[in-house]
Amino acid sequence: MGAIKIAVIVLGLMGFVFSLLLAFLSKRLKVKDDPRVAKVLSVLPGLNCGACGFSGCRPFAEAVTKECKLFSGCLPGGTEVNDKIVQILGITGCISGNQQIVICHCGAISGEKKVTSSYYGPQTCKAAHITAGAIDCAYGCLGFGDCIEVCPTGALSLDNTRIRVNFDKCIGCGKCIQVCPRNLFELISRKNMDFIYVVSCSNKEKAVNVKRVCSRGCIGCGICTKVENSPYYLKNNLSTIDYNKNLDNTALEEGKNKCPTKCILEINA
Amino acid sequence: MKNLIIIFISTLLINNLVLSYFLGICPFLGVSGKIESAFGMGMAVTFVMTLATSIGWLIYNLVLVKFGLAFLEYVVFILVIASLVQIVEMFIRRYSQPLYQSLGIYLPLITTNCAILGVALFMVTRKYNFLESVIFGLSGGLGFSLVLLMMAGIREEIDYAEVPKPFRGAALTLITAGLLALIFMGFSGLISS
Repeated sequence: MGAIKIAVIVLGLMGFVFSLLLAFLSKRLKVKDDPRVAKVLSVLPGLNCGACGFSGCRPFAEAVTKECKLFSGCLPGGTEVNDKIVQILGITGCISGNQQIVICHCGAISGEKKVTSSYYGPQTCKAAHITAGAIDCAYGCLGFGDCIEVCPTGALSLDNTRIRVNFDKCIGCGKCIQVCPRNLFELISRKNMDFIYVVSCSNKEKAVNVKRVCSRGCIGCGICTKVENSPYYLKNNLSTIDYNKNLDNTALEEGKNKCPTKCILEINA
Repeated sequence: MKNLIIIFISTLLINNLVLSYFLGICPFLGVSGKIESAFGMGMAVTFVMTLATSIGWLIYNLVLVKFGLAFLEYVVFILVIASLVQIVEMFIRRYSQPLYQSLGIYLPLITTNCAILGVALFMVTRKYNFLESVIFGLSGGLGFSLVLLMMAGIREEIDYAEVPKPFRGAALTLITAGLLALIFMGFSGLISS
């Protein structure tokens, strides 16, 4: 009987002491949650895309509330959401300027990309990039759609093994840039362009080697750079457009029409 | 000193908690998908294990043994571990928000990690003194992290392989764990008395 009594008392005391300690510490170490964080969080789209520069919607909401400034703002939400955040916090916000979209620098469709070997490995770009063999070109789109899987808004789709970007859905989060093993994506600001011109090739080899693997590749001939006021310039054997400059649509169009391999694409924005 | 080093090496490699006692298998299989989360979990377990052994030793020897209540060890250790995890969680939440966020759900899950209870009970049956217990807890946690990280590394590589259908997922993970355990058996001759 005695042992049971002592056991009950000791265990009860110990439990009591621990619970007191926990109760005391939970009061002492309490983290105050700002109620505005929840409010901001409720107006955010909840995509956790990371386009704002934070790891997700919650960290963004916390930072915005704490610092009382909008940082780069919520890109997928656009002005509508950012205005609401500004209202909740009562700050004079600096709304983010141009919407960012992503473009893909490989536009070859099946038949244009040469394939001389068969690839039976895992059906992901990540794996196919390591082994090579899915396509001959060492720079082009492998077409397994890792980027499609990672896109939070479903803006990317595969059209005849060419990646198509739906610019209305694209929020410019850049997740596809991180996941593409061949670095085909580039983030540009949309401005008010009706058409977006894209040099749809990333092959930095010389013309002979480009021609050997793809009929749509940029051979670095420089014809597009020779039109009047040309926005094109050559870099690493590749025609390139500087999207930060004011682009002249007629010059873009002319360069596109003169391209011997038709590798400059005009995409409806 | 020599004694402590022997305890450290033997708990880390030879009598590894996961691979030779098969304790803590649940997080070993559950959290070993990615190296980052495996590292976070490993560090959290190491921390709690070291604290649990030291506080557990104090309570066992200063309270339980004195009142002749050694049979209460299971209940008391569970009580200590659960409260400890709670306190640690509160501290981390207060003083390091990023760490709290990266550990996430793993922190409360440590409460039910049998490796930690196992270490506390081993410490009693092996009659370690205080310093030995602390080293035992630390090396047990480090051993756990080591194996968890190895497993995570292997599983990240396996993702690239074309695995026959019946072996995919849990089956291959368990086979890999078995092979790892066999490999760790090779350490058994490391210390000869």
